[in-house]
Amino acid sequence: MTSLETLKLKLERVPVVSGGQAVRISLLSLVFSFIIFSIFLSIEGANPIDAYSNIFSFALDPNLGLPTTLHRGLFLLFSTLAFVVAYSARLWNVGMEGQFYLGTIGAFAVAYSLPELHPAILIPLMLLAGAIFGAGYGALAGFLRGKLNVNEVVGCLMLNNIAFWLVYLLTVGGPWAGIAESTSRPLPPNAHAPIISYTPFTSYLAIGIAIVLYVFLSKSVIGYKIRVLGNSPTAAQHIGINAPRTYILVMTIGGAIAGLSGYHMWAGDPAFLMIPRPEAYKAIGDLTYWGLIIGLVCLLNPVAAIPTSVFIGSIMMGSTVLVRRLRLPFGLDVLFLGLVSITFAAFQFFYMYKVRRMK
Amino acid sequence: MHREVGRGEAILEVRGLTKIYPGGVVALDNVDLEFKSGEIHAILGENGAGKTTLMNILFGVLQPDRGEIYVHGRKVRFRSPLDAINMGIGMVHQQRKLIPAHTVLENIILGHPEAGKILDFKKVRRDIEELCRKYGFKIDLDARVWQLSAGEQQLVEILRALYRGAKILILDEPTSVLTPLETEAFLTSLKSMSRQEIALVPFVTHKLPEVFAISDRVTILRRGKVVKRIETKDATMKALAEHMVGKEVLFVLSKPKVSIGGEILKVENLSAMNDKGLLALKNVSFTIREGEIFGIAGVSGNGQQELAEVLAGLRRVETGRIIFMGRDITNASVLERLKMGIGYIPSERLGVGVIGGFSLAENILMSLYFDKEFVNRGLLNYKKIREYAEKVISEFEVVAPSINTKAAYLSGGNLQRLVLSRVIPKTSKLLIANLPTTGLDIAATEYVRKRLLECKEKGMGVLLISDDLDEVLQISDKIAPIYEGRFVSILQAEEAQKEVVGAMMTGAYSER
Repeated sequence: MTSLETLKLKLERVPVVSGGQAVRISLLSLVFSFIIFSIFLSIEGANPIDAYSNIFSFALDPNLGLPTTLHRGLFLLFSTLAFVVAYSARLWNVGMEGQFYLGTIGAFAVAYSLPELHPAILIPLMLLAGAIFGAGYGALAGFLRGKLNVNEVVGCLMLNNIAFWLVYLLTVGGPWAGIAESTSRPLPPNAHAPIISYTPFTSYLAIGIAIVLYVFLSKSVIGYKIRVLGNSPTAAQHIGINAPRTYILVMTIGGAIAGLSGYHMWAGDPAFLMIPRPEAYKAIGDLTYWGLIIGLVCLLNPVAAIPTSVFIGSIMMGSTVLVRRLRLPFGLDVLFLGLVSITFAAFQFFYMYKVRRMK
Repeated sequence: MHREVGRGEAILEVRGLTKIYPGGVVALDNVDLEFKSGEIHAILGENGAGKTTLMNILFGVLQPDRGEIYVHGRKVRFRSPLDAINMGIGMVHQQRKLIPAHTVLENIILGHPEAGKILDFKKVRRDIEELCRKYGFKIDLDARVWQLSAGEQQLVEILRALYRGAKILILDEPTSVLTPLETEAFLTSLKSMSRQEIALVPFVTHKLPEVFAISDRVTILRRGKVVKRIETKDATMKALAEHMVGKEVLFVLSKPKVSIGGEILKVENLSAMNDKGLLALKNVSFTIREGEIFGIAGVSGNGQQELAEVLAGLRRVETGRIIFMGRDITNASVLERLKMGIGYIPSERLGVGVIGGFSLAENILMSLYFDKEFVNRGLLNYKKIREYAEKVISEFEVVAPSINTKAAYLSGGNLQRLVLSRVIPKTSKLLIANLPTTGLDIAATEYVRKRLLECKEKGMGVLLISDDLDEVLQISDKIAPIYEGRFVSILQAEEAQKEVVGAMMTGAYSER
């Protein structure tokens, strides 16, 4: 009998996790990852408190890290929203990367072909082209899923690859090649994004989209249909919701949002396309996958995604000081990000299960 | 008929069992029970009486907050079902947990601790054949499970438990999916098993008569408490039912006199395939008129599901026509039918009828979202939706703290009330009710039937699909026994005799 009496913990399934619990669990996961990373910092001889205060003071200093923090953070927000809208119908949009590249192509094509246009016309045109290109690319994956039942994850990943190499071929030795090996020609000055308090105006566009998306998903008829479909395709069928059409719709919206980030990413600073060498494969595109983690952690709430994205952006920016300022080994910054993301993902477990002590 | 009881050895005993769920719901309150070998000890109770909790505790799925469990007089603690199995407790679930494509033998071996090692199939076969002989089971060990009837599948589950050394068998609603004929055979097997040193514990919500017939002892749970312990020979069915519900039970609902009006639905030579692409509904024709309940009696899987889905627009029609209010709707979409006033109560509640992660109001919205009254320029008018939801939820007596409660927290009967409150007020002409009372307790069942009769009174046509023959006989105006996708006959309720309908729906009767 003794063997049966030793274990005192028991898992219980949680039917529905509330917003408050989600916030608590996420904060807990952050604390946890900070503690784990402290161990690595200590091993490398750094004072964790000192390191963390350096990270955040750098990331939030308007003269140092803040512009990049905001720029990157809100880039993540675009990806998150692209993921959230599709995942509300329970489609895994992992095609944000491809949609972002396509959006880039759309925006740059407009800028290169009409460099003399007035910014007030050129910039909206670039955004529009980015959104349309991204939407088309998303719709393609949505169509494959909705009409032909091709798994959207497989479809998206393959399309991502195609999109990356399209940008690569255009930029490296292609028609858009610049002077440096892996960068494009600079954008015409008229295409540069106006900066409003430290960050391109498109950052505010992202916040606006988040709020609109929140209202769309929770208050509109189409948003309701998307959520019914996401919760139960059978129930959706029983009340006359057209699943294929809805799948295409969410992927199109998601694609359009991700496509907009093609302009946001490049048009402020440095204002030209930087394609890393294939060895350092797709460094920027890879950032879009944060959208998945942030979306899930925020329980698909677009408004909650705003601060979360900026926070991740601050860690992204701030952790660079570990190497540059504190002279710690290269790679520690990346390790920190990896830790945060993996504990975020692992703590999702507590969204579904509650650990109970047995008496 | 009844043997002397109480002579066997106590195999399993629980004392002072208490379980309180988060949120303060007391599921079990100080329950004492004793299960003896050679005895069939039935546990009766309505939905929400604590039966499932008790079952889960006995089988190690849940841990009690207070109280002790004794096996053969020794105090134990079950950490998981595996501990319970190792202590000789077997469970036969209501939902079969067998692999249809595998043989009986393979299914019995599956999950056995020896199964990881190299198996001596010959020895295993001999052992199981020995078990079958001992308990008088007749079953082909090489048959594939999908070829077996529901009753035989249940025997396989029992064999599996016995092969793992079970001395006490917990049976969750053992007869709920069996036809009358199968039930009889199955109960005979149980009876002969109980003569050996096995304790049987059937848990029952409905289907009282069957269990009543074979049990030695009955314990009734209500709201987590034991309200009655009685030896079957001293009990009457009516008294048991009253203890379960806690009030006088109306076993007979009075059918309101309603004048039958014009034709609502006319179905001509309708055929449809099932999911496997086989013809499941064959050439069915009938009409439903205003104020009429058209009952379809049959054992599940004889084409009822397909018929319901075809009428609701969820399944393609192969041949034939559906005329609704004089209009051909054979190819109309689900949404068009909903807008015409056709309501559908699906057989599955959670996940189809309602969505667990949605609040009550959002669930009610499933029947409103296409209604202009609740939509303003593409946006949902939540104020109106909430008002409406409050109204129908109180009208249909859904018990919940508020309309913001998630449906996942509702129990079976309440869940069905929620489905009804969503569907019925928005149905004006034809209600299709697919297994509306399956799995519900007596009070909830009675409630659902009353609501269906109310629809009839209001002049709607109702298509009732049920595997409960008594229910069909009790509230329908016309009865169509269905067998292998065909209506064997269409009878007026007054002329339908239970024996005849029962024979018709099991294929034992053919009209010349």
